[in-house]
Amino acid sequence: MNLKTLYPFPAIVGQEELKLSLILNAINPGTGGVLIRGEKGTAKSTAVRALASLLPEIEVVEGCLFALSPEETAAVGRCEDCRLCAQGGMVRRPVRVITLPLNATEDRLAGGIDFEKTTRDGKRTVQPGLLARAHRGILYVDEVNLLDDHLVDVMLAAAASGENRIEREGVSLSHPARFILVGTMNPEEGDLRPQLLDRFGLCVEVKAESDREMRVATMEQRETFDTAPANFIERFAAETQELAQRIEKARRLLSKVRMPGRLRALISELCTEARVAGHRADLVIEQAARALAAFSERLEVEDEDIARVAKLALRHRQREPGPPPPPQDDRQHNDHDHPHDEEPPEKENEQEEEPGDQQQPPLNSKPEQDPGDAGDNGGTPDESKEPIKPANPDAGEKVFEVGATFKVKPFTVNKDRLFRRGSGRRSRSRISGMQGRYVKSTMPRGGKDVALDATLRAAAPYQRHRQSDCAIAIRPEDIREKVRERRIGNFLLFVVDASGSMGARGRMTATKGAIMSLLLDAYQKRDKVAMISFSKTEARLNLPPTSSIDMAARLLAEMPVGGRTPLNAALVKADEVLRGQLVRNSTSRPIVVLITDGRSNVALADAKPMDECLELAQRLSREERVKFILVDTEEQGLIRFGLAAKIAEALKARYFQTADLKTDTLLDLIEKQ
Amino acid sequence: MTCKTIYPFVAIVGQEQMKLALYLNLINSTLSGVLIRGEKGTAKSTAVRALADILPMIETVKDCPFQLAPNDGMTLCRECFHADCRERRITGNHVEALRRHIKVVELPVGATEDRVVGAMDLEHAIGKGEKRIEPGLLAAAHRGILYVDEVNLLDDHVVDVLLDAAAMGVNTVEREGISFSHPSRFVLVGTMNPEEGELRPQLLDRFGLSVRVEGIADRESRVTVMERRVAFDEAPDAFTAQWEQQSRELVERIEAARQLYPAVTIRREELFTIADFCLDIGVDGHRGDIIMMKAAKTLAAFDNRKEVRKSDVEAAAEVALPHRMRRQPLMEIGDNIKKIKEMRR
Repeated sequence: MNLKTLYPFPAIVGQEELKLSLILNAINPGTGGVLIRGEKGTAKSTAVRALASLLPEIEVVEGCLFALSPEETAAVGRCEDCRLCAQGGMVRRPVRVITLPLNATEDRLAGGIDFEKTTRDGKRTVQPGLLARAHRGILYVDEVNLLDDHLVDVMLAAAASGENRIEREGVSLSHPARFILVGTMNPEEGDLRPQLLDRFGLCVEVKAESDREMRVATMEQRETFDTAPANFIERFAAETQELAQRIEKARRLLSKVRMPGRLRALISELCTEARVAGHRADLVIEQAARALAAFSERLEVEDEDIARVAKLALRHRQREPGPPPPPQDDRQHNDHDHPHDEEPPEKENEQEEEPGDQQQPPLNSKPEQDPGDAGDNGGTPDESKEPIKPANPDAGEKVFEVGATFKVKPFTVNKDRLFRRGSGRRSRSRISGMQGRYVKSTMPRGGKDVALDATLRAAAPYQRHRQSDCAIAIRPEDIREKVRERRIGNFLLFVVDASGSMGARGRMTATKGAIMSLLLDAYQKRDKVAMISFSKTEARLNLPPTSSIDMAARLLAEMPVGGRTPLNAALVKADEVLRGQLVRNSTSRPIVVLITDGRSNVALADAKPMDECLELAQRLSREERVKFILVDTEEQGLIRFGLAAKIAEALKARYFQTADLKTDTLLDLIEKQ
Repeated sequence: MTCKTIYPFVAIVGQEQMKLALYLNLINSTLSGVLIRGEKGTAKSTAVRALADILPMIETVKDCPFQLAPNDGMTLCRECFHADCRERRITGNHVEALRRHIKVVELPVGATEDRVVGAMDLEHAIGKGEKRIEPGLLAAAHRGILYVDEVNLLDDHVVDVLLDAAAMGVNTVEREGISFSHPSRFVLVGTMNPEEGELRPQLLDRFGLSVRVEGIADRESRVTVMERRVAFDEAPDAFTAQWEQQSRELVERIEAARQLYPAVTIRREELFTIADFCLDIGVDGHRGDIIMMKAAKTLAAFDNRKEVRKSDVEAAAEVALPHRMRRQPLMEIGDNIKKIKEMRR
């Protein structure tokens, strides 16, 4: 990155918390990084990039690929061959900020085989990854919540042990990788896994300034910078320099800063009060407070230091009850419940052969739970609360507003062996594009995604008979391709009951809130959606398959309620849509979300509606590619028919009541175990 | 795009706001692009393609795959595959410079990630055992315009890459054994049909301006549209020649505005108006303010004035704010900023 074009750190207007947290990390790496959450356009990325000019210098062995310090030499398995450090070359350079782009591949993050050197010299050579380069520096991930899971895993493993083990592509090596993790994210786009969240020492929330003066100042600064960057940087050079020196000085002072014992007690008290899990918060507060004391040129930590940093360290670790915590999300925790399934056999089987998409039996939930209102406690306040005016003056029909939304439990389909195209974040699948985790290699399928390690292995036995300029001669027939895996979005078909029975006692409001929550979840996971609603005597496909969740949301808000419950017609309609979808894309794995109280009362033929309904449901359940979820909206207590549960059983659907849809971080975790 | 005659930009009937938004971006490349939202058949794509006619000039190193200016840094050149150019640049010898129009690079909706960010040249790698970078569209679009038709249908991971590059002005590639980064500052121009779904707020925010285009309601203008289209289809060259004078005038006006822009000043008072605007409407972050100010200044420059007027600020709000009202997923996009502002008051 070119320092000449970076916006100077001191020129950032306001955002004091953000600036402080970055400075603390520059002073004391023990602070453990910072997560910057906030809305768009609030200088998040600008601040992190500007930090580069403030970082202190460190001593590094000259030419060392792993950025080792003189004390650390021989820490890497390969050091015996290298011995650069023995030559005594030492350089001082500023701590680096290494950017991890979202589309990075695993081999570049962790390190892998160096193709160029290997083919040229015929000797296995390692190309260190970003984790090696970030050692003793800062690893910066913009939009960290969009980072692919497999990269997060690699990063977490390294962060936890301070060491990166490369066991891939025929390379076996481990090297120290202690880095400060800095991430920015926009919470709208989904949240972080708890493990990753906890890795960040501090967390700051940034918001735009609401002060007019500040806003004007921001505009002025930015424009001056854009018109003449060099002059602008020059103008702030002295200030930047001064701040850098202050940080350097604090860094030297750090080891002398004392922490009075009584303050340790205070820290642990604060942590207990906030009900944080684990001890990381305690440690982070201590380290950050010492950095802050050093920054203020004091040799002893004071109460005020603790107070200032505790806020930053506890914000993302706090659990209820407490002031607004960032939603603790565990939507992705099941990554760890699904260790990578067995490596599939070598041959690629392109035909439909699914390892029995095990439908969960109806997850019979406790019927005596809190009343089925769709979460007014803990629900993220949302624009969807705004009342939507009745748009349809049709007699007998009523439009209910959308209730409060909440975070929904994770649901996915099981993995199979088919290759798909696409992106998103719901279910794991093999991928025909070039993103995702490299799981194994295969014979070429016509793509460009060459698996270098496998290609080299394939070429190896013939080297004696081949001639080439390089040490290793590779022929087209040696080429192997990668098989990749990642999460992609699914096709969600919402089948919504809009009959009169749903209108009773504001149930539709809560139900709409629940559906809206499912839609928001679908937005974050990048699903495709379609929506069928049924009322009076027919079922209508209101929204044909689309990736526009917005349209679904709008339709939902305007959906009127009234009349009878033609659930049977809806099931037939759903089958129609599903069949169309499966014909068009035979690899797609639709999920049907049926939202109803189950009181089917319109038959299609000459039969009892309910019997017919169960019969239809059973027939639908035979399509193995489709997964069903039934959300029962029947009111709790009183007299219950339990019809929806029966239908769920017939469909082999996962059964929820509206209230159970909500994630409840801890509870959910326990249930899983 | 060169082999065919392009419909002249100046011959597009109506759609003044869209044209204006495009001019503003040609004058000031820090406005970071425009999103054109509208129905089918409203000359969205025609307009963007026709831009080729009126693009300003820049100076680049000849054949440079990264569109570097002759006085740019050399860090990139060390790994460049243009061997002779590399040698000459690094040894400080004279390199051939070229004055050319800025480029409009089209990003097709189905583009794969490796084509967008760049990848390793495989044939070379396997044949010669040497890594060579094949720059992608983001390299080609540096200092130019990156045009995405139907931007709302773009694959999600490509969107993420675009956002990354647009945010940093740098494209960083860490894929499959290659590791490089190059500057990638472009004007992002996207067209979309809102019926097909909206964009994520994050991406929306990256577009500096947004305009909504509609079919023209006025009968006379509709007839003119038809007449001109027929005339163009029948004799493209003659039609283009007919408009050449006007095209040239427009180019000159844009060029003059480019020169004037650094001298344009804005009074604090107007800056406060902008801040109030954004606070009233409630946009996220500060990008709205900054873009609105820049747009107002650019408008003044386009009008050949050195002082921003109140009317500039108001006009700037109409193009800089509508898409920023959508602060969260699933929110509506407003069309009439002024009305909304008054409503909120």
